[in-house]
Amino acid sequence: MSFDNKKLLAVKDLATTFHTAGGDLPAVGGVSFDMESNQTIGIVGESGSGKTVLSRTIMGLQQRTNVTVTGSVLLSGFEMVGASEDEKRERWGTEVAMIFQDPMTSLNPVMKVGKQIDETLRVRLGMSKADAKARAIELLELVGIPSPQYRYDAYPGQLSGGMRQRVVIAISLACSPKLLLADEPTTGLDVTIQAQILNLLEELKERLEMSVILVTHDLGVVATRTSRIIVMYAGRIVEIGSTREVFAHHRMPYTRALLESSPKVSNASHTRLTTIPGRPPNLLKLTQGCSFAPRCSYATEKCHVDRPELEAADEPGHMFACWNPLPKTRRTVKK
Amino acid sequence: MSNFPQFNVLEEAILVEKPEKKEPLGVLFWICVGWIGLNIVGAIFANVLPIENPLFQNYSLVNAGPSLHHLFGTDDLGRDIFSRVVYGSRVSLSVGAGAMLIGFGVGAPLGMLAAFRRGRFDAILTNVMYVLLAFPAIIATIAILSFWTPRTLFKIIVVIGIASVPLVYRVIRTATLSVATKDFIVAAKVQGATDRRILLRELMPNIAPIAISFLLIGVATVIALEGALAFLGLSVNPPTPSWGNMINESRTILQMNPWLVIFPSAALCLFLLCLNFIGDRLRHHFDVTEVKL
Repeated sequence: MSFDNKKLLAVKDLATTFHTAGGDLPAVGGVSFDMESNQTIGIVGESGSGKTVLSRTIMGLQQRTNVTVTGSVLLSGFEMVGASEDEKRERWGTEVAMIFQDPMTSLNPVMKVGKQIDETLRVRLGMSKADAKARAIELLELVGIPSPQYRYDAYPGQLSGGMRQRVVIAISLACSPKLLLADEPTTGLDVTIQAQILNLLEELKERLEMSVILVTHDLGVVATRTSRIIVMYAGRIVEIGSTREVFAHHRMPYTRALLESSPKVSNASHTRLTTIPGRPPNLLKLTQGCSFAPRCSYATEKCHVDRPELEAADEPGHMFACWNPLPKTRRTVKK
Repeated sequence: MSNFPQFNVLEEAILVEKPEKKEPLGVLFWICVGWIGLNIVGAIFANVLPIENPLFQNYSLVNAGPSLHHLFGTDDLGRDIFSRVVYGSRVSLSVGAGAMLIGFGVGAPLGMLAAFRRGRFDAILTNVMYVLLAFPAIIATIAILSFWTPRTLFKIIVVIGIASVPLVYRVIRTATLSVATKDFIVAAKVQGATDRRILLRELMPNIAPIAISFLLIGVATVIALEGALAFLGLSVNPPTPSWGNMINESRTILQMNPWLVIFPSAALCLFLLCLNFIGDRLRHHFDVTEVKL
């Protein structure tokens, strides 16, 4: 993999360590990947696998104290790690924007939703009041909010969860970012609205020529909407590759375990879902070996003492980290 | 792929019409506003109003009950109680407003900044404030006012104001903390909002309801504190009346002349009650976070 400056995003050896009272906690432990423009990447993993910390680190959002970030995040050629707040602020909104998990808390409850969009337009793009309002209504319409001229004056408390998430998306699109980081954008919504929001994101990505990083624990969400998938476990990438390849020819047992634990339409009714035994590891007490080894049925002696590095699989761009990978079968996953 | 734009039919049906109008504030609210206004006008124009001199002592008419001539009666020195209540509002209202202006002027910005910035700044400031809080405010004000003579209204306001800073700081800091960790603050930040903008446009409107409630309680507490200081002879010097020192002076002759304690107390109670009612009503009226469905 080359990390040239033409890439929209190039992440290299990115590590985020929290210094807690119990010791150093490597929430993200050396992650490298890159992405081109106009791509949608999915980052999947269990709770606590470092997905959210990774996306926040890419954004350059860290606490001021007790955290160390090493490695490199090149965003359109600009180094985000170690950049000053002012430098990052210049790029936030215009280069990279973020959508948060819970639309109930990501809107200011005492400000009209229209004003919240206005704000960005006027401050960042220097629009006049009237222009900003017209543009805000346009944006509300773009994200599929009915009668946007009335909704402009609504407070977040008057909107439903799905509508709020649409407003959140409208705000993040205000300065036409090149990259949109969506951190579990549908977790707080019910299933029918989830599909709508995801379809909306996909539409907007096509229409506005953005790139999207979709962070989720739901494989169903990424299956049809992403071109590449990154599977994370205990702060590291364990498998990365094109979506088709990862679903059909995954080599890492963890990926398989994840896939098997999601419900399938073809299952007979009342089938018990397969669960992954054990729990995600305590990041404060990581061993030398593979983090997944204690829960892995394929684990051997070597897995417990030596950590596998990412190695290339058959298809270019497909990599996995495992000493005992699943055989290269040309089997297809039941859908 | 589905059609675009796409939305829930039910959502649309509910929300297509214009947002509903707000309910009116109500008669009682306006009565309260009127009463507070009357008090303020009375305090400002006390010396041009056609009322008696509050210091004039009429020894032929001491401890008289209410009459047409003396609406609230007279005290043990034959001074007109009505006139003293009106003049007394000057001291009480200026202490209430002035001290809270200082308390909020210093405590609120510091509290917001500390909660927003966190880190060492917050740690040092909060610990200093907590040490100050551990020291009872009343003792501190007594100590300072005993030595800082001659006592004027201005000095009393300053001392009470400074004594209230740690209290305001603590309330505002806590309120800000609970808002500052919400996602919409981070969301505003990653949309490129500066710290100043986040403080003024995102944080301030969210803590305003708490701040206003605390302000109203603060005004009441401070007026009462002035009364307590007056009792110890540490407020404005007699014979200048204030609601607090009138109540305190009247204690000795309570059984002989109950009017002397009833009227200033009623004035104080009504004033504070109205303030709190106004605050409550306003908060309810402007509360947009409550879902009204």
